[in-house]
Amino acid sequence: MDTIVVENVSKRFRIPHEKKATLFQNILGVIKRQFSYEEFWALKDVSFEVKRGETMGVIGRNGSGKSTLLKILAGVLYADRGSITVNGRISSFLELGAGFQPELTAKENVFLYSSILGVSRREVRKKYDNILDFAELRKFESMKLKNFSSGMYLRLAFATAIHADPNILLIDEVFAVGDEAFQSKCVDKINQFREQGKTIVFVSHSMEAVKSLCHRSLLLHNGNIVSIGETEKVIADYLTISRQ
Amino acid sequence: MWQYRELITNLTVADLKNKYQNTSLGFFWSLLSPFLLGGVLYIVFRHLFGQDKDYVSNLLVGIMAWRFFSVGTASALGAIVGKPSLVTKVYIPRQILVLSSTLSTLISSFLEFLILLPIIFILRDKLPPTLPLFALLHILYFWFIYSIGLILASVFVYFRDANQIWDVMLSILLFCSPIIYPLSIVPQYIMPYYMLNPITQVVIMYRAVMIGGTLPSLSGLAITLIFVAAIFSIGRFTFSKLQRRFAEEL
Repeated sequence: MDTIVVENVSKRFRIPHEKKATLFQNILGVIKRQFSYEEFWALKDVSFEVKRGETMGVIGRNGSGKSTLLKILAGVLYADRGSITVNGRISSFLELGAGFQPELTAKENVFLYSSILGVSRREVRKKYDNILDFAELRKFESMKLKNFSSGMYLRLAFATAIHADPNILLIDEVFAVGDEAFQSKCVDKINQFREQGKTIVFVSHSMEAVKSLCHRSLLLHNGNIVSIGETEKVIADYLTISRQ
Repeated sequence: MWQYRELITNLTVADLKNKYQNTSLGFFWSLLSPFLLGGVLYIVFRHLFGQDKDYVSNLLVGIMAWRFFSVGTASALGAIVGKPSLVTKVYIPRQILVLSSTLSTLISSFLEFLILLPIIFILRDKLPPTLPLFALLHILYFWFIYSIGLILASVFVYFRDANQIWDVMLSILLFCSPIIYPLSIVPQYIMPYYMLNPITQVVIMYRAVMIGGTLPSLSGLAITLIFVAAIFSIGRFTFSKLQRRFAEEL
C-alpha cells in the first residue's frame, strides 16, 4: 500500500519586484494598477508514490524544488494544483527544534516540542528519561534553553524529535549540522527507522548518504521530475545534469 | 481542535511563562497596572463624575473589561508573525497559535477580575448574587476577542502596518465605550449608534452582574451573541483563506 501519493502537484510562487509590506504601499499599488510580481513555478506537474517502509531520496541542484516538495508534503505549503494523500502520522524534520522557546527550561521544551510533533503528554512522560539520556543532557534538564550551546540545543531537539515515533519522516538536510559523532548517531537512527519499516522521504546533497540510505530516489530539475527509480541510476543522471 | 488540546495547553502555559518569568514581580505587575490606571483616572475625573457613588467600581470593572479586549486583540495580532518557525517549519493548525495567545490573556484577565471582587466588596459592602453569571459573560467575550484575533493575526501576515492601524483603532474604541465616563453623559441622539458598539454592550452587562446585581437584558445578550457569532464566522473564513500562504509570506 502506498503511504504517500502525489498526483500532478504544481506550486507557484509570487516574486514581488519590490516588497510592498505596508497597507499604504499596497493601496498605492492597486491605484496605480501595479501588481508587480513575477510568477515562478517551483514545482511543475510532479507525480510519484512512496510505498510503506520505503526510503525515498530526493536530489537535485539548488533551487530545483526539493524543499518546496517537502514543505508541501509536510502541510506547511499548499499546492496550487494537484493532490497529495498521506496515510499515517507524519513528522517533518524541516528544522530541528521548531517551536523551542529560549526562556523555558530543557524539560519544558521537551514537552512543548513533543506536543507540537503530536505526541501525547503521557507518551512523553514515559519516554522522557530516554530522551534526556539520548541527548546526554541529564544534568541540564532544568536549565533554560537560552543558556544552551548550539550543540546541546541540537542534541535536545534531535532526541525529542526521534522519540516522537512517527510512521512517516520527512528529513531535509537537518543532519548536515552538528559534529561527526552527532551525524553518525543520526545515520544510525535513520537506519533503525528503516528497519522498523517506517516511510522516509530524505532530501540531501550528500550522494553518499542518499546512496547508503535510499531504496529509490527521484531527481528534480527546475521543478520537474527528470528521473525516478533505482538510486544508483538517478545519481548518475544527477551527475550528468550537474556537469552541463 | 479537541485532539490538539495538549498542544494548546502547552502553548498557553509557555506564553504565560514568557510574559511573566523575566519580571521580578511576575504576575503581580499585570495585576497592579489596571489598579494604578484606575487610581489615576479616579483622581483626574472625580470632580466630573465622582458624585456617582458607584463610579469607582464602574471604572474598575470597565478597565478590566477593556484590558481583556485591548491586550487580547493586540497579542493575538502578533500570534502568527511572532512564531514563524511554527508556521514555516512544522505543520500545526495555525488557529492554535491565535487561540493559545487569547487563552493566556483570558487567564490574566480572569485573575484581574478576581482581585477586583474584594475591592467591590469593600466599596459597596456586598457582592451581588448575580456574580456567577460573570463566567458566562467572560466566555462570550473571550469568543469575541478570539474571533477578532483571527482576523487581525491573518491580515497582519500580509500587511505589516496592521498593528499601527489597530493601535489607533483601539484608542478610538476606548473613547467610544463607557469605560472612563459613565453611560449617562452620552447624548440621547447618539445613543442608538453608541449602543451598536459591542464593547459597550459587554461592559454594561459586566456592570449589571458584578455591581448592580441585575440580570443582563435579554435583548442586549441576544444582540451580542448574534454579533459575536457573525464576527466568528467572518474570522474563521478570513483566517482559513489567508492561512494558505502564511508560510510564503513569513
